[in-house]
Amino acid sequence: MAAVLDKRLLLVSGKGGVGKSTVAAALALASARAGYKTLICEVNAQERISRLLGKPELGPEIALVDKNLWGVNVRPEEAMREYALMTLKFKTVYKAVFENRLVKYFLRFLPSVQELVLLGKILYHVQERDSSGGFRFDRVIVDAPATGHAVTFFSVPQVLVDTVPAGPLLVEAEKMRDLLIDPGTTTAVLVALPEEMPINETLELEQELRTKVRITTGAVVLNGHIPPRFSAEEQAAAAGQGEALNAMIHGHLTRERMSAEALQRLRTGQRAPVYTLPRLYVPDFGAASIDQLSAQLASLVSESA
Amino acid sequence: MSGSPLQEVTRSARVIVCVGAGGVGKTTVSAALALRTAVEGRSSLVLTIDPAKRLANSLGLEELGNTEARIPEAQLQAAGLTAQAPLHAMMLDMKQTWDELIARHAPADKRAAILESRFYKALSTRLAGSQEYIALEKLWQLRNQRDYATIVLDTPPTAHALDFLDAPNRVLDFLDNEAARWLLSPALAAGKVGLKLMNLGGSYVAKTLSRFTGTDTLAELATFMSAMSGMNEGFRERTQAVRELLADPHTSFVLVTIPAPERLDEVMHFHRLLLQNKMHVGAIVVNRVHPPVPPAAFEQARALPPGLREKAERTLEEAAVLAAQDAQGLAMIRQQCGNCPLIEIPRFELDVHDLRALWTTSEYLMGVRQLERAG
Repeated sequence: MAAVLDKRLLLVSGKGGVGKSTVAAALALASARAGYKTLICEVNAQERISRLLGKPELGPEIALVDKNLWGVNVRPEEAMREYALMTLKFKTVYKAVFENRLVKYFLRFLPSVQELVLLGKILYHVQERDSSGGFRFDRVIVDAPATGHAVTFFSVPQVLVDTVPAGPLLVEAEKMRDLLIDPGTTTAVLVALPEEMPINETLELEQELRTKVRITTGAVVLNGHIPPRFSAEEQAAAAGQGEALNAMIHGHLTRERMSAEALQRLRTGQRAPVYTLPRLYVPDFGAASIDQLSAQLASLVSESA
Repeated sequence: MSGSPLQEVTRSARVIVCVGAGGVGKTTVSAALALRTAVEGRSSLVLTIDPAKRLANSLGLEELGNTEARIPEAQLQAAGLTAQAPLHAMMLDMKQTWDELIARHAPADKRAAILESRFYKALSTRLAGSQEYIALEKLWQLRNQRDYATIVLDTPPTAHALDFLDAPNRVLDFLDNEAARWLLSPALAAGKVGLKLMNLGGSYVAKTLSRFTGTDTLAELATFMSAMSGMNEGFRERTQAVRELLADPHTSFVLVTIPAPERLDEVMHFHRLLLQNKMHVGAIVVNRVHPPVPPAAFEQARALPPGLREKAERTLEEAAVLAAQDAQGLAMIRQQCGNCPLIEIPRFELDVHDLRALWTTSEYLMGVRQLERAG
């Protein structure tokens, strides 16, 4: 059976603080272990992925992180440079134009240009070929901007198509848009926590990506899920032992209930299948935890018998 | 320890600014401080940005636009509270506040052109610092036009501490950049905006740049900058006034965070910045702390039948791991923040979404309740 997320470009988003980078890192690790040449991209972020994987900082150049796994931190400055060089062909022209003080000012404030070059670099790697003519990467996984910024970010090619006059920028924007909204290439993975605001934002984001940007969500991951543990009889039996224990069990039951409620809202409030990752209780959340979570997400990125 | 420093703050501050990263409970802390202030007899307004729906409902905010609303006394009484002075809440609409600012300051003939420009849309919604700027702008307006004893500002979730304190400067920089002035001034003088653009750097740079962005884009930017240029003086004055308000002895900052080690650098950095800017930090509030597991709970679990006993013990051990993590985070904050008072609020089982829970939160803020730590 094909993988749930049988696409070459996975965009991982969710409310800030829900574990977006954790899920992106776990998916990337699972994908690489299933034998896919995988590239994980951070977008102008603070090197969370490398820390989670227990590796040196990624930086703006693509680096091999693990077997079949490459990583890069896509930053506007370098992406702008690469894009400009691709358009302009000559380094001297680039220097004269893009390192001009005034031009730097324009590029900083021109709406959408920063986002465009960031996306441009990511999409370039989706299509990049190796010397044998095959794709350099089987799968590109993006730790995308959080809800609130995600829709703006992924709408940029369309916004430019609607606003810029004919020219190289328009051609570029059209190509990017077509690839980004191609359901055979791209799918979104949304991450939530069992709390009110993250669930609200996930439901909104799924809808906005689908209707405004035309990107379909392939999976929703409820991170930090707390599965039911105590039956009603057990609950009553434990309550009889004393107040201290009762309070702790009651707390767990409340969190179980919130988690069940969150799961229910995610299942009924949007269209993608919902997967859960358990809350981990470890003193240090790092590479070992990502390892554990990646095993749980394996079915999303690898074929099964 | 009795007598939380926030007692004094709620008794005398005219402005309380709650700052911190997104998702740490700033809105809850802001609302709890405003509630406390009003209940104790000083009128208050909480100016919030994007509250969770149920919290917004409990404050009667669901139907509100950009206006202040009084929390009905009946609603407070239903929660067992009596406010000695009125409590107000308001949800800030960024876009509308920006539009009002333009309507007030822009020359009538330029207004429509500004509001329709996509550069204005970028400035008012997405330029780094623009949300922070407009929140401060609204705070300044309300502080000068209304007579609430205290206004509590719940700031937008800020990725970087600098964004907040630097917001006014960034917006000024956008509007009044050296490059923009150089570009516009001769053209302005000649009454032909955009003329110089075409001659930018002897046209070579401009030609190449416009190949990249399209010529129209640059001309449009020049038009926008020139329409805005008349407002720069006003913006500069206002920015200065906002800075003075933030540094006023009657303004107090409350830094809100959670006890996660990855937040530590951020909190320390923010704390340093506030002090460097001569701003008064009332307290650091550490929210969502998992309290230690009482030893009695483990003893009680041992008496349970096998099967259930293991489940109960697992539950307690998990809670103990979280408590230990948080204790470590707290120790690191305490070690690094020097004399700044630290206030712990436990993680509640449910999201704080009603007045009663806000009141409980305020009791922790005031030091009336404290997290129990076994000696």
